[in-house]
Amino acid sequence: MTQPVIQVRNLVKVYNKGGGAEVHALRDVSLEIARGAFVGIIGASGSGKSSLMNILGCLDKPTSGTVFLDGVDIGGLGDEALARVRNRKIGFVFQSFNLLPRTNALENVELPLIYSDKPGASRLARLALESVGLGARIHHYPSELSGGEQQRVAIARALVNDPEIVFADEPTGNLDTRSSYEIMALFQNLNTQGRTIVLITHERDIAEHARRVIRIADGRIVEDVENTRPRDAEAGLNNLPAQEAAHVDR
Amino acid sequence: MSTARIAKTAFKGMGRNKVRTFLMMLGVVIGIVALTLVVSAAMGAQKRIMERVRKFGLDSLMVTAGGGQEMGRPSSGLPTTTLKIEDAQALKDEIRSVVDVAPFNRRSQSEIKFEEKSTTTGVFGVTPSWEPVWDWEAKKGEFITEDDMDDMARSAVIGETPRRELFGDDDPIGETVRIGTVPFEIKGIMQDKGTSPGGGDMDNRIYVPLSTFLRRVANVDYLWGIKIRLKSVNDIDQAAEAVAALLRERHKIAPGLPDDFTVRKPDEVKEMAENVAGTFNLFLIVVAGISLISGGVVVSNIMLISVNERRKEIGLRKAVGAGRRQILLQFLLESTVVTLAGGMIGFLLGAAGARLMQAVTKLPTSLSWQSAVLGIAFSAAVGLIAGLQPARRAAALEPVEALRS
Ligand SMILES: Nc1ncnc2c1ncn2[C@@H]1O[C@H](COP(=O)(O)OP(=O)(O)OP(=O)(O)O)[C@@H](O)[C@H]1O
Ligand SMILES: [Mg+2]
Repeated sequence: MTQPVIQVRNLVKVYNKGGGAEVHALRDVSLEIARGAFVGIIGASGSGKSSLMNILGCLDKPTSGTVFLDGVDIGGLGDEALARVRNRKIGFVFQSFNLLPRTNALENVELPLIYSDKPGASRLARLALESVGLGARIHHYPSELSGGEQQRVAIARALVNDPEIVFADEPTGNLDTRSSYEIMALFQNLNTQGRTIVLITHERDIAEHARRVIRIADGRIVEDVENTRPRDAEAGLNNLPAQEAAHVDR
Repeated sequence: MSTARIAKTAFKGMGRNKVRTFLMMLGVVIGIVALTLVVSAAMGAQKRIMERVRKFGLDSLMVTAGGGQEMGRPSSGLPTTTLKIEDAQALKDEIRSVVDVAPFNRRSQSEIKFEEKSTTTGVFGVTPSWEPVWDWEAKKGEFITEDDMDDMARSAVIGETPRRELFGDDDPIGETVRIGTVPFEIKGIMQDKGTSPGGGDMDNRIYVPLSTFLRRVANVDYLWGIKIRLKSVNDIDQAAEAVAALLRERHKIAPGLPDDFTVRKPDEVKEMAENVAGTFNLFLIVVAGISLISGGVVVSNIMLISVNERRKEIGLRKAVGAGRRQILLQFLLESTVVTLAGGMIGFLLGAAGARLMQAVTKLPTSLSWQSAVLGIAFSAAVGLIAGLQPARRAAALEPVEALRS
């Protein structure tokens, strides 16, 4: 049996610990995610989804509990080592895209490569943009792109360093239905190619594109099921009403 | 190399926010302009001082009558009458390192007249050796000769300043001027010399034979001073001692009593010249320092604002793998690149300003690669120092905190 890419044991996150308004965002969470999985995490607002993802993605540290990424206990790593893990093993996609303004698509995608020593940064960035269908937009600025296109630039950025895991926190939260399906189709495609994907959303129909769905409530896992028949985003796109096909994003 | 890539990032950051870049530069530009002006003025002054000291002669001594700090006559009391023309001859004959001596006497602020015009000038009684000892010749006509000395001739060599005052564009040679009531025929014009180490106009003089001066102008038998030319610069200290010893002996000064003369060496002349130029520079150095410091404060504050505005960018960079050190490097480079550019612009403007200053105020300035290096080094230092605190703050941001904002 191959080792899970993510192993979490007894994870606890408390904000403002010791302060007046303690918030228990995660209460004793344990889970394992297999290599090549596509996991959807759902839950109400404030249930602790982002807190979990930030810790798994080495952006934040847990109050207690352990996290193994690729077999490595990240609790034992210093800041610089964590930065290296984020750079090599993890790609992030955020709800609000987080592209640098006044910086074109190509340079945005090159960003992770600034912090790695890989040669041929602009060639890699160009390939990543082509893989998300934006080969013709590489010199466009974020302000010249639709929301869906901006999110695809962000996905290309998440992929450019060929990470083990892609974390996406509400990637469709700012998008209309069509763009959402396009993004989901991309994720499904990536997953078929073997990439591990952790997708956070509070929309059940978006979560149903994943092959495993975990529900969180009040900082605890309350449901964890295999999705034997995930929705097919390509099919969803084809079923959209025709007039919406000619829309302008947002 | 990721360092090269971060440097490129820092450069691009400059172009992305032009107003910010401009404001940051402005502070430094002003400081470096001031610094460049100060340095070029200081170096110009230094150069001028060296020129003046060279005029005094690096391999020469000046003996003046009267002890203590006063040049020539003490400001209070009677003139010192003990320094004689025979002393000059003895110095030349008995001290081996002395090549030649130029004994002289002078009267400052004397009125000289040509026809209806008159001017005030210094009258110098000199010997023919004045020319070789000072390395200073008549540029037109001829200088005082031995015959003039022997004949107590009433001939004169005029300096550039009184010549301009009295004759304008006309040729003065052969004309007669009156010093007091005594008529002198002008036989030569002295080469221009400019400003003395003490700041006086060395061209505002008229020269007459020493013998004539003593008998007809001043009616005394003592000297104001003796200029001594030495074999080489290395003889200065030894020669100064020998001169003092010989003069004490000749003037029969008992041990323990003070000299009745002063021997001045070139380095003392240099000191005197520096005192004339010094205060002016100190003031400007303070001005440049203050403007550089305030430039640094401006840079630091704008960088802090910039770090705050760009929390999200910093969070994102950290999320995609930037470590503390890389963020620190980026922000330090951003501030340093901007201040460096400001420094170069400042130097160019300062150089232009120095030219202008020289043209307007006639103060000498001197530009050199040292002042360019100084300006650029200072501006880089300002960028580094002013950028350190903001860059530290950026580097310390937690990625989640930064992304949330
Ligand atoms: N930095 C923080 N300081 C204090 N409380 C926080 C902080 N971050 C999150 N919380 C709190 O922790 C709880 C979980 O937040 P989290 O962001 O993980 O929820 P979420 O499931 O992602 O919600 P949403 O769907 O709205 O994004 C919430 O009550 C939230 O207010
Ligand atoms: Mg969230």
